[in-house]
Amino acid sequence: MKNYPIWKSFTVVSLVLLGIIFAIPSIIYDENSENWFLKNKINLGLDLQGGSYLLLEVQLDVLYKEELDNFVDSVRLISRDQAVKIEKIDIQENEVVVFFGNKEKIKDIRDSFFQMYRGVTLQINNNKLSIKLNDEYKKIIQDSAIKQSLEIVRKRIDESGTKEPLIQRSGKKRILLQLPGVKDPERIKDLLGKTAKLTFHIVDNDNVSAIQNNLASFGKIIVQDMYDENTKYLLDKRAVVGGENLVDAKGSFDQTEGHAVSFRFDTEGAQKFGKVTTNNIGKNLAVVLDGVVITAPRISSAITGGSGIITGNFNAQEASDLAVLLRAGALPAPLEIVEERSVGAGLGADSIAAGQIAAIIGMVLVCVFMILIYGTFGALANISLIVNLFIIISLLGTIGATLTLPGIAGIVLTIGMAVDANVLIFERIKEESLKQTKVFQIVKNGFDRAMSTILDANITTLIAAVLLFAFGSGPIRGFSITLSLGVIASMFTALMLTNFLVYMYLSFANKKELKL
Amino acid sequence: MFGLNKIIPVEPNINFLGLRRNFLIFSILAILISIGLLSIKGLNLGIDFKGGTLIEVSTKNTSIGELREILSSSYSDVSLQEFGNENIILIRLQNKSNQESIETVNSVKNLIQDKVVEFRRSEFVGPTISSELLFRGFQAVSFALIAILIYIWLRFEWQFGFGAVVALTHDVLFTLGLLSILNVEFSLATIAAILTIAGYSINDTVVIFDRVRENLRKYKKLELVDLFNLSVNNTLSRTIMTSLTTLLALVSLFVFGGEVIRPFALTMIIGVIIGTYSSVFIAVPTLLIFKFRPQDEDD
Repeated sequence: MKNYPIWKSFTVVSLVLLGIIFAIPSIIYDENSENWFLKNKINLGLDLQGGSYLLLEVQLDVLYKEELDNFVDSVRLISRDQAVKIEKIDIQENEVVVFFGNKEKIKDIRDSFFQMYRGVTLQINNNKLSIKLNDEYKKIIQDSAIKQSLEIVRKRIDESGTKEPLIQRSGKKRILLQLPGVKDPERIKDLLGKTAKLTFHIVDNDNVSAIQNNLASFGKIIVQDMYDENTKYLLDKRAVVGGENLVDAKGSFDQTEGHAVSFRFDTEGAQKFGKVTTNNIGKNLAVVLDGVVITAPRISSAITGGSGIITGNFNAQEASDLAVLLRAGALPAPLEIVEERSVGAGLGADSIAAGQIAAIIGMVLVCVFMILIYGTFGALANISLIVNLFIIISLLGTIGATLTLPGIAGIVLTIGMAVDANVLIFERIKEESLKQTKVFQIVKNGFDRAMSTILDANITTLIAAVLLFAFGSGPIRGFSITLSLGVIASMFTALMLTNFLVYMYLSFANKKELKL
Repeated sequence: MFGLNKIIPVEPNINFLGLRRNFLIFSILAILISIGLLSIKGLNLGIDFKGGTLIEVSTKNTSIGELREILSSSYSDVSLQEFGNENIILIRLQNKSNQESIETVNSVKNLIQDKVVEFRRSEFVGPTISSELLFRGFQAVSFALIAILIYIWLRFEWQFGFGAVVALTHDVLFTLGLLSILNVEFSLATIAAILTIAGYSINDTVVIFDRVRENLRKYKKLELVDLFNLSVNNTLSRTIMTSLTTLLALVSLFVFGGEVIRPFALTMIIGVIIGTYSSVFIAVPTLLIFKFRPQDEDD
């Protein structure tokens, strides 16, 4: 071997060996292996192993609207205390405008209001008071809503028995979920689609005209029945007690009532519940879930034990899902599913099989082509190509990257692109061989002069791949990862491994002249 | 050795630049038609960018007609298509609002439950998401073009950067035009293909530009047109070989890689061919606008 430094051979050989060794876990692919070495395998993306990807958006508008409603209630209370008549209330997107009968006490009302709420902008114009939500105030609402929602979503998913879910915040008001292996995304979507806000209200049976006129007096609300939208109830707006006081909820079965949900209150809840049921014997108590009445039984005796059951026309699954929701707690605001991508295990397996076939056939075609065009040199380039594949696989496994279907496409594409650097080198060698006859000098010049072109060409591809990673999402990122790794690995295999192989070949074959 | 490489001589002598006017006219026409198609017909946007619902099912002994009948009684805007083989059917629905369509996924599944062996895939993209994805895709492609331009500027003289960007823009527009004609579904994966084409098609251009730069130093007396011709001829075999190896892999992906990945593979194949063509017939002739001779410059 002429002038081939030992350290260089050593580096090349050891990198190649490392590449092959660390590809082993991904090639064997023992899913459940706990072995420290075999655990370093490629992660399959949801599109290959099957599973659901969901993007949820917290409906902040609902929260802002709720806050504006609170403003209205407070203003009504204050003005009642001050004996000022309200003529009209106008609720807009971000503000509430209140028109008073006279403007004498409007400043007092404003000051009282400001004592209750910070973070609002109050403006007086003649007899008009406008109350506006500040941006900072909205941001506080937003942040706490997202935090709470994340926590509740996590609890609900955990309760649903999904293994290894990924739940994270995405941007300002979204939550991203990756649920590998989920077979029934519909059920999960149902679980997430409900706010599960549970409240208990005393029913007002005295005021029949309110329901007929569909006009609730101050402090009351009209709520419809869950199962029959024509049945309506007039309820006290103030809830006696709510789901936040629940400590436990379970699906249960009652001989007479069928499937039900049994629940237990904490001490505070038990006290409130006991007091109200003691004071209101004979009245009805409505159980309201997400704005509809599930049931409104008559209070026949005081309930002081702090537990009870909710009956409805449930089946077993519905009762147990409601229990899950109640245990996990209510979402601060409804969640809307803005994106869903679910892949069944069958399609995932098909994709893997198709990707493998495409990779193998692509590989064979490229290898045959290289041998036809460059003969022995082509065969050497093919060795580099195969090593290149091993290196990509081992890098994917060791950095814990996720392989997706586009990622497989990236690998197949890399097979075609990885030999490009070899082509550039061989063509350069071909040119050099016309200029001189010293075999090793030809090869050296060939590699040296092709180097800058190879760098330029690969760096532009890397730029595209990096930008794709920055702007892409999910499976597409998988493509940019395999493409980047492939490009980087191909620079090593072309400039170092092929170089090493060519020198080896020329030394051992003792070539005196070079014909490409 | 087989010596098949002799098919392309080491020093071919083809007058590429002599043909430049014809190819320029061809390319300008192609670009104009592409722009026209994109603005009139537009791209066949998939649900990634248009929003909507897509459900892929495998069936047993159920024809596509039966499924269509069941679904079209409830949905007016449903389209069904066989996907790969007759037992696999792709159902698409265009939805108006988010809420409606998450429910759509459920109700469609309920309607056809007993006709279906497996729900292979269900996708729903809401309108806010689809417009965001489109915007981000557009951003990614624009930033990639700018970043590549800056890189070429740094590595070569600015004139080369200009030539490269003309060629790149040509490639992207031409490819989009062909996607429009062929009605290939435009999805996130297609954006990935376009970006990769941008990164890859510049490779051939770089190879030729490298040689142009080298020859500019070597042959100080040669006419520019001849020098460019020489450079293209010098590098012709590698331009062809590198594209061929990549095409071989892509064709394998197209044929064997499965239905889902096919639009991606097709886009890449188109892009690689156009990119190779533009390196020779667009990028290099663009350099003729500039005067490269030392006597024309101050240094």
